[in-house]
Amino acid sequence: MSLEVLQSGAALDTGGYPAFFRFREIGERVVVTSIEGEWIVLTREEFRGFLRGEVDRDGALHQRLVERNLVRESFDARRAAEAYRRRKRFVHYGPNLHLMVVTLRCNETCVYCHASRANLDALHTDMTIETAERAVDLILRTTSPHVTIEFQGGEPLVNFPVVQHIVEYATQRNRGLGKQLEFTMVSNLSLMDETKLAWLLAHRVQLCTSIDGPKSLHDKQRKLPTLSSYDAAEPWIARINAAYREAGLDPTLYHVEALLTTTKETLERWREVVDTYVALGCRALFLRPVDPFGFAEKTRKIVEYPREDYLAYYRRAVDYIIELNHQGVEILERYAAIFLTKILTGDDPNFLDIRSPGGAGIGQLAYNYDGTIYSSDEGRMLGAMGDPTFAIGDVRTSRYRDIVSHPTVRAMAIASNLEGQPDCVDCPYVPYCGTQPEHNHKTLGTMMGRMRESSMCAVHKGIQDFLFEKLATADAATLEILHRWTTIRAREHFVQPVAEGG
Amino acid sequence: MSESLLGMPPARVLADLGEGCVILTVDASMYPQHAVYAAAYCFIARCYVWLDRAEPEAFRVVLTAKQPTDAEGLRALAGEFSNELLASAWRREITRLNRGLIESVTMQAFGGAMGPPSLDDLEAFDFSDEPFDDPLGIAQSWEDKYRKPKPGAETGAETGAAVAAETDPQGGAAT
Ligand code: SF4
Repeated sequence: MSLEVLQSGAALDTGGYPAFFRFREIGERVVVTSIEGEWIVLTREEFRGFLRGEVDRDGALHQRLVERNLVRESFDARRAAEAYRRRKRFVHYGPNLHLMVVTLRCNETCVYCHASRANLDALHTDMTIETAERAVDLILRTTSPHVTIEFQGGEPLVNFPVVQHIVEYATQRNRGLGKQLEFTMVSNLSLMDETKLAWLLAHRVQLCTSIDGPKSLHDKQRKLPTLSSYDAAEPWIARINAAYREAGLDPTLYHVEALLTTTKETLERWREVVDTYVALGCRALFLRPVDPFGFAEKTRKIVEYPREDYLAYYRRAVDYIIELNHQGVEILERYAAIFLTKILTGDDPNFLDIRSPGGAGIGQLAYNYDGTIYSSDEGRMLGAMGDPTFAIGDVRTSRYRDIVSHPTVRAMAIASNLEGQPDCVDCPYVPYCGTQPEHNHKTLGTMMGRMRESSMCAVHKGIQDFLFEKLATADAATLEILHRWTTIRAREHFVQPVAEGG
Repeated sequence: MSESLLGMPPARVLADLGEGCVILTVDASMYPQHAVYAAAYCFIARCYVWLDRAEPEAFRVVLTAKQPTDAEGLRALAGEFSNELLASAWRREITRLNRGLIESVTMQAFGGAMGPPSLDDLEAFDFSDEPFDDPLGIAQSWEDKYRKPKPGAETGAETGAAVAAETDPQGGAAT
């Protein structure tokens, strides 16, 4: 019997050997996973034996299958339930990521960003102190013991006094609550100065920036009037990293991380992108495809690309990153690290866009400068484009429990539960995957989405194909590198002290 | 004037270029009414949507584009509707089969996010009112909703099937 027969849905006599499984062919191999995320990669011959129950009970294959809890006669239901529970641990807590858009004003103009910015004279797009305080009051009502407040914009440094007030107010309010509170700022760094930096370092605000690759590409995509946006950011990255070292912090853990947006022009320049990140001292590169949010239709043609082209770029770039790791350079790719953590450790790093159910509204919230609350930053960007579907409250009038149980949030949780999705229910990657209702809504006209037509599904599937290929064929040294990428080290320094003067 | 569209079965899909609309005839024995509603609803931002019965065994769906469009645009609407219809029908069946798993994870996610009510929440709660609006009778027992005898009284398998058939032409999960 061939795999083609199985795929045609013909009746199959498995001899009662396999426990529940899902499978997918990748080249000459077949990935098999269980409902709780145990996995094995088999040759086609081994897979046929597994299906028919024709596996030597004293042989190594049977042993491997038993170890992965994939054999019906030895199936350990308690172990499977525990593993499933562990993977879904995140459902026990509410939003831990809170994005605060403190202003829409920005001094840079980026080709892929229209909905998230306003000119520097648009003072009405600054968040007020009163709105900021009401947002913090709501944030600290979350049931999550971990809270990260991420300052976004616009450019948050434009409204620095409100950033400062939020940090001080939230830290003060948290004293009686004892949550693990952290602050992150995503800034283009061009408006940084020594006074602001000293304050941010003293208040343990983690700093992130955006780097779109080598200088020529970065400057072309992120325009700063009369100046190079790359030259405006780069010295500050070095300066901040030096400050961390001077403070005695481990540079492998404490350094500026950067965010990349992959546009059409990035695809050919994968090597330069990786080299740029290494040269800047970054330890992680997130090869994110461009979002469909926030830019006008005519811009789409300039920045968008077919997903096959993206996946070819992804493979080349990650192969190169692995090659650099072999040479002793420590840098990881973020998508790979997220999926590998799920695949190799049985844990879930709670990356909010790649989990099931998704994190919108129940794992993250976004607070717009005007006080409107959205399910996520993507929902906010759609709001800025005139689509208020994902607006779920207002900091002045909404109560915490009403926000996280808002009908839109409920619909999104159902829509992003992959166990209810055609395609996903037959896909071996479902234990590790996720979908984003805002993305589906924007690209396919329905929060549920149709995975066969979803570019996000194509990206997730392609990346997981690549990773399972690697896990099946890589040498021991490469496997060690991939395992290393799953190590999560806490950055304790960025956690705010809860005791007065601490 | 109605005309066929490239690659679309003319017995099922017709277009009226002058009116900017596409007319689809959906076999009611293949697709449940809920799937037709769900698929049609996805188009209301882009189209004016009209549903009715073309024949006793067929639904008619008329999608009129809000913005002027050509034959290619109408073909895309018809194709997308057909794909969404299949996805909705299949999703409904999958949801029925996986209901336990979906419900337990989703309920835990909401319970986890909401946490117990605070004193403020309880204070704001109106205990004097009806527990909550339930126009579809979701919180009612099956017997109350359909005025059937309670278990123990005489009840038969065909009664259940009849109710299912009455509420859902496909005989799927009715309540
Ligand atoms: S989203 Fe795509 S890759 Fe992910 S589980 Fe569903 S079908 Fe598989």
